[in-house]
Amino acid sequence: MAVEVKTQNLPLIKKIRNIPKEEYYVPGHRTCAGCGPALQYKLVAKAAGANTVFLGPTGCMYVANASYLCTPYRVPWMHTQITNGGAVASGVEAAFQVLIRKGKREGELPNVIVMAGDGGSVDIGLQAMSAMMYRGHDALFICYDNESYANTGIQTSPTTPYGANTTFTPPGPAIPEGKKLFPKDPPQLVIGGHPAVKYVATASVAFPVDLMNKVRKALNVVGPTFLHIHAPCPKGWKFDSDKTVELAKLAIQTGMWILYEWENGEYKYQHKPKEYKPVREYLKLQGRFAHLTEAHIAKMQAFVDAKLKAPGIPVAVPIPPPRAQA
Amino acid sequence: MAKEMVLSGCAASAQAAKMAKVEVICSYPIRPYTALMMELAKMVANGELDAEFVYGEGEHAQLSVVLGASAAGARVLTGSSGVGVTYAFETYSPIAGGRVPVQMMIADRALDPPGDFGSEHTDAMSCRDQGWLMGWAENPQEAFDNCLINYRVGEDHRVLLPQFVCQDGYFVSHIPGKVLLPDQSQVDEFLPPYTLPHPLDPKHPVSHGPQIRPDQGTIMDLQRAQAHLDAPAVIKEAIADFNRIFGRDYSPFVEEYMTDDAEMAFFIMGAHTMTARHAIKHLRSKGVKIGLVKLRFVRPWPTQEVAEALSKFKAVGVVETSTSYGGAMRGGNLLHEVRASLYDLPKRPLTTSFMAGLGGEMVPLKEFYYMADILSEMIKDGKAKKTVYWVGFEAEA
Amino acid sequence: MFTIPKEKEVPLGCITPAPVTEQAMMITGNWREYRPVIDNEKCNLCMNCIVFCPDACWQLNEAEDEVVWNAKYCKGCLICVNECTSGALTKVYELDFEDGVVRLEKPF
Repeated sequence: MAVEVKTQNLPLIKKIRNIPKEEYYVPGHRTCAGCGPALQYKLVAKAAGANTVFLGPTGCMYVANASYLCTPYRVPWMHTQITNGGAVASGVEAAFQVLIRKGKREGELPNVIVMAGDGGSVDIGLQAMSAMMYRGHDALFICYDNESYANTGIQTSPTTPYGANTTFTPPGPAIPEGKKLFPKDPPQLVIGGHPAVKYVATASVAFPVDLMNKVRKALNVVGPTFLHIHAPCPKGWKFDSDKTVELAKLAIQTGMWILYEWENGEYKYQHKPKEYKPVREYLKLQGRFAHLTEAHIAKMQAFVDAKLKAPGIPVAVPIPPPRAQA
Repeated sequence: MAKEMVLSGCAASAQAAKMAKVEVICSYPIRPYTALMMELAKMVANGELDAEFVYGEGEHAQLSVVLGASAAGARVLTGSSGVGVTYAFETYSPIAGGRVPVQMMIADRALDPPGDFGSEHTDAMSCRDQGWLMGWAENPQEAFDNCLINYRVGEDHRVLLPQFVCQDGYFVSHIPGKVLLPDQSQVDEFLPPYTLPHPLDPKHPVSHGPQIRPDQGTIMDLQRAQAHLDAPAVIKEAIADFNRIFGRDYSPFVEEYMTDDAEMAFFIMGAHTMTARHAIKHLRSKGVKIGLVKLRFVRPWPTQEVAEALSKFKAVGVVETSTSYGGAMRGGNLLHEVRASLYDLPKRPLTTSFMAGLGGEMVPLKEFYYMADILSEMIKDGKAKKTVYWVGFEAEA
Repeated sequence: MFTIPKEKEVPLGCITPAPVTEQAMMITGNWREYRPVIDNEKCNLCMNCIVFCPDACWQLNEAEDEVVWNAKYCKGCLICVNECTSGALTKVYELDFEDGVVRLEKPF
């Protein structure tokens, strides 16, 4: 007699005072002081609660959290390769489906959450992420975006902004802007191309209640969901550790980060500024943009202006200019 | 009620997995193992098998999916061939070191370049150092039996290792043979339900695989080494039970055929053993004192058993269907392990390796007769002229 | 064939117990240069410090209706000071305190 697999329904949080007290990402981890990804992990774990299994592809939220022989995860957690977060999560979810159905496990289907960095989501991890979205597993894929391969010492990733100084995109006379390429847009990769996906959202550590509610909404959806969370990185972006939340807010105020939900084909925006501040306000606070000239900043502004008109990558994307002739 | 069917190796493996009540399967198509997954898909669609059938996006994903599912407490099966096996390579160490007893059926296939659908042991053999159990089936019956035996050994809490359950592509995977299917009650008696000491379960949270210091890495390596020291005893137990419950007569590690007064022997594994048996019967009728020793487990390599079995011969020809370019014997890799097994014996047989069946070619009877001739010469000369013969490509026919 | 000394043991398959309230194998209180100090009179219980601390080092003591600081783990990132809406939080040099923790010369 097959047991019906039930999933839980987490209530939305009305205001900051109502944020649940229980910590599921506890003190005692080796992340940098002021780490944006650690902050979002704490909030996500809080929102998800006890009936959760996290998958942790290699990255800062693995290595920095799980050194050495210990972790801050109060719920079950498993390391995965950076390549396969989506695939391992699919297996965990499939196992719980069949085990509950056969009466070998009791209770509601646990929240299965992949906590992948930008590389583990849309670079080396893209295949596994897309397949999880396609196959309709009841699981949540979170891309915590610190805009680089941070754990290996800050190298460029597909979400690294144009003009960012990383150890693979250092500025120099031959390449004045450092990074010539414009970034991939993770939620847009998921939206529209994966029929089983009904909810995709962006979030930021700047708005914690919004973030936690989006986590809960995503978990409540029966099926695959995707969250793209902005998580500033003091070490990689080169700013003082106390500015993490301030910078995240500024990203939204300048249009460098847009908060939205895509639900059943419709877009809804959150915390949309009435007037956008110029991007230079955001860029000037980060050492990784210190080398940019006016021309580069203008390019960045143009990119943001176009993006603000509609979600996704703007149609006329500035392509890298041809390499200077010798 | 036990019944006899005629099944290909792929179909036999599927039947075994079904009777083992596998719970999560991850598929991806590649010749020649694909039929395993097609059979299982039919069983799931018909309602004969209650399992999650996950369409993996590639072989690396297949292994990743079953890793997650097995760590969560479900019995799993995946499989591949050729470059699919090597594409998933990244996952093999994490799975073995994480002590998750995933089962992977490999219908072997020559590695690219370029595309070659033929059978070779090289694909799986390239992965033999990762810590998995590994062995070859000679025919579809063994393919069926090995599936159950490997679940039993791999899932045993004294072992907890994943298993490569191999069979020759096409020769076993596709050519049908007689398979005695047991009663479900026999399988249930032999194979206990799958449990892990610490599965992923919100009721009992654990952290699976935190980062470690280099000095702790040695300990992790030692754990796997210990598992391979402990596995042989569990294998012996399992085979004894298997023989009793299913009425078979398997020797756990090596099987001898017509070796009683043999002066020389073939050392061989997999499908070509069948042809070798015929060759030996014929040679015996001609008065040649020859036998064969068949290897059932490559990992854990049964050093004692190999040494004991081979010590009684004057010459041993190791039949190799895999390559190890630049290796000590400049041929395959079985000879290296055979010589290592024989090294401490006061009296060692002469050994050489015969590269045969590469690329998916058959090993016809006359090639075995050729190998037997060389072994006879070796005994006469008191030494091996060469350590490797690429059968069919030697200057003197 | 080999023996592993007890103090060097690693759990089988590297599967370690999950923490409950803290992970005492990674104490980070000795990282800080500055310590956040609260003036409870000024605090308006906006919850920002509690919410924005990546290390969950501010918690609400509901009985006393005040926020409590975790000295054992606070890294001194000072996000809380930057996000405090009432000016109740200020930063003070760690070694000005008698129980000020000296930063270790090497990480372990």
